[in-house]
Amino acid sequence: MEQRRELTFKIRCFNPEVDQEPHYKNYNVELEQGITILRAINYIKDHIDPSLTVRFFCQAGICGSCAVKVNGVSKLACTTQVWDEIPLAEVEGTIVIEPLANFKVIRDLVVDIDPMIQKLKNHKAWVVPTTADEKMGEKEVAVQPEEFERINAATDCILCASCYSECSLCEVSPNFISPLVMLKTFRMNDDKRDTINDERLEIANHDGGIWDCTHCYRCVEVCVKNIPIMDAISGLRHESLQKNHDYTDGARHALAFKQDIEQGPGRLREITLPLRTLGPVGAISQIPFAVSMGLKGRVPPMFPHTAKDHDGLKRSILKYRKDHPKDKE
Amino acid sequence: MYDILIVGAGGGGLYAAMEAIHKNPQAKIAVVSKVYPPRSHTSAAQGGVNAALANKHKDDTIELHTFDTIKGSDYLADQDAAAYLCEMAPKVVRELENLGAPFSRFPDGSIAQRPFGGANRHRCCYCADKTGHTILQTLYEQALRMGVEFYNEYFLLSLEHQDGACNGVVVMSQRNSKVMAIPAKAIIMATGGYAKMYWHKSSNAAGLSGDGQGVALRAGIGLKDMEFVQFHPTGLRKSGLLVSEAARGEGGYLINNKGERFMSNYAPEKMELGPRDLVSRSIEMEIRHGRGFESAAGSFIKLDLTHLGKDLIMARLPQIRELAIDFEGVDPIKEPIPIRPTAHYSMGGIDCDVSTRTEMKGLYAVGECAAPSVHGANRLGGNSLLEILVFGKRAGLELQNDLPTLKPRSMNERVAVERQERRLAQFYQPDHHERLDVLRNEMGKTLGENVGIYREKKNLSKGVEEIAALRERFKKIKVHDNSRVFNTNLQQVLELQNMLDLAACVSQGALAREESRGGHSREDFPKRDDANWHKHTIAKFNAQGEVELSHKPVTMGLYPLEERTY
Repeated sequence: MEQRRELTFKIRCFNPEVDQEPHYKNYNVELEQGITILRAINYIKDHIDPSLTVRFFCQAGICGSCAVKVNGVSKLACTTQVWDEIPLAEVEGTIVIEPLANFKVIRDLVVDIDPMIQKLKNHKAWVVPTTADEKMGEKEVAVQPEEFERINAATDCILCASCYSECSLCEVSPNFISPLVMLKTFRMNDDKRDTINDERLEIANHDGGIWDCTHCYRCVEVCVKNIPIMDAISGLRHESLQKNHDYTDGARHALAFKQDIEQGPGRLREITLPLRTLGPVGAISQIPFAVSMGLKGRVPPMFPHTAKDHDGLKRSILKYRKDHPKDKE
Repeated sequence: MYDILIVGAGGGGLYAAMEAIHKNPQAKIAVVSKVYPPRSHTSAAQGGVNAALANKHKDDTIELHTFDTIKGSDYLADQDAAAYLCEMAPKVVRELENLGAPFSRFPDGSIAQRPFGGANRHRCCYCADKTGHTILQTLYEQALRMGVEFYNEYFLLSLEHQDGACNGVVVMSQRNSKVMAIPAKAIIMATGGYAKMYWHKSSNAAGLSGDGQGVALRAGIGLKDMEFVQFHPTGLRKSGLLVSEAARGEGGYLINNKGERFMSNYAPEKMELGPRDLVSRSIEMEIRHGRGFESAAGSFIKLDLTHLGKDLIMARLPQIRELAIDFEGVDPIKEPIPIRPTAHYSMGGIDCDVSTRTEMKGLYAVGECAAPSVHGANRLGGNSLLEILVFGKRAGLELQNDLPTLKPRSMNERVAVERQERRLAQFYQPDHHERLDVLRNEMGKTLGENVGIYREKKNLSKGVEEIAALRERFKKIKVHDNSRVFNTNLQQVLELQNMLDLAACVSQGALAREESRGGHSREDFPKRDDANWHKHTIAKFNAQGEVELSHKPVTMGLYPLEERTY
């Protein structure tokens, strides 16, 4: 027989009609093993509190409606087993459910995803086809299985916004492109049937674009479809440098690191890093920031550590360059 | 005032929007949807879309596809509509491909095709087991590209009409519960199916409540062949969630408790790839005769994929593997999946013809909410995605000719809005006490028990009575949530009303049809009866809101009636 037990669902609620601030409501329910978080929420809605509000639709992990934070992590309520969450609870027997972060809450667990849709539009997350309108549907464009394979994982994205909710940049910078839009940009740009590759890449290089990502890997950790989003981000950066999009602070920062790896003494030359990244004016403007960092004791070490076998790395790079003459970066 | 208003933003609605904009560049067009477009249920279609591209079998033709479709329909499909569906299939699939849909590929770079139930050739184009999802994403991407105007999260309340022509719709914004009229010259209804009325015994999304059919029915429009509901053979045992036909297309076996591939007794030639109605009945029969497996979650049959190997499962059926792990705790690479049939697809819908026009001037219907009728008594796997593309496009195309003939009509918006506001206010009356979850569960239970895979007079009569009683009790249903912000309690009550009204059509249509055909299987009338029943059922509401049935001939002309064996 499957296990049953008493659990508390601590759910963050907010109704702008009556509440000044979000607050937590506790619901005590007895559930059986095998039930999902979504079914538990709907059990509460049907039997305890009809006002409890959540979006859901397919209940099979493909429509992306029901992403919420469960015990602090963004995921789909419909594919998450309650029993898997019990050991992750901070307070024994209490499962915490909250709306996605980095969005405005409409009510309870429902958030406003319009800014995400707007970013898809801003970044032209669609194919502008090679096939002319009047020739549409006449014949297939041949796509080799390996060309399909390159975009295959990215097309798994269901726009559930879990990555958006967990993104450390979206949290501080509302204009940041966001992981899923970078993924979509990569997917469109790597599609041989698309014609606006350069335009899309240019947009992705603007402020708040692909160079702002801090590689925290949260998006990769939480992606409900296990998509390697970071591969898409580095893919876009690589493509940008190949196509001479080297004019942003982010690109120059990356190039400075590359310069030190290829030509440096085996360590990052941090003193000149702001100059190389931001240019003379930008570097000067950073002086007050550097001073305040210094006053708090945040200064580069006097005797920096030098990487061992750095020459070996240099030799490998040289060899790669020789073997791949077309790869500029 | 819109020229064209599309209700529903799944594949049918989006394709209609795209084509309508292409063909009517000057027209004012918008799409209303109760969910954000990429949430639509098109995303859940896993297996693929049929088109006689002949990429795999060079001898495949549009005629073969048409014949398979008509035979699959147990000869209830209108043959002009089925022929159009299959004729347009290669064009729309290639068009979708040209627009960026990521299809799986053969080594020569052409679109890959897999075998599917009831088909004589490998005809089903796919993207792993996420075909519907990728098609919906592609269409949504293109809609964003074209700047389509969306009303996202607006719920359809009524279809407004006068003198046999439609004036527009009344909708409710979920954000603030505001009721508003949207006048339009033409309405394209694309709201999806109604098989969620089987509730816990359904593979459908929570919102597949037949909203478009419900408002059409209450506006006096006829619904066609509502008694034909498809049970998909392979739902997961506990949740009813779908395991795609692709699992059998790729070579999966159905196994009973004796370890036999029992389909050899029912469809010796096609085996597991018989049409869905036949395979579902076979599974049900095995369970009835004690050859199923028993568990606390009910009897079941096993779907065995283990012999296919890890590589094939990971490459072509990855989502199915995830579903089986998430919802049954079973990894199909290592052990068979417990399955049972689940209500899956509504063949019936708003009565329309091959042009998508309905009996109401200015009203068009496409996709699962419509019955043109291409699926007749049983739909073939891979033909539903095809239908939404072909007929979504057709509606946009028809409006190129029709729009100039549709005059702007005056609509008394205030009266229409107030009528709906009064309807909503009813649900909050102090003497209302019936519970949403109770009525909904009872609806699912009685439909599952009495209007399920096997039907007979006594059970069907019971089902008809119980649905009538539930509709009566619905008049006293209570909405407990008083908020005007995103009131899902209210919306679920409105959805239940649609499902109950349509359940009356389904159960009464099933009781009346004294024969067995496709998805409608009567134990007391086990044979197909072409002399008396080779005709469509039309269900309409009379002034009292009671169902009245009439009939309509089937359009023939291509393939004569034949016995259907596999």
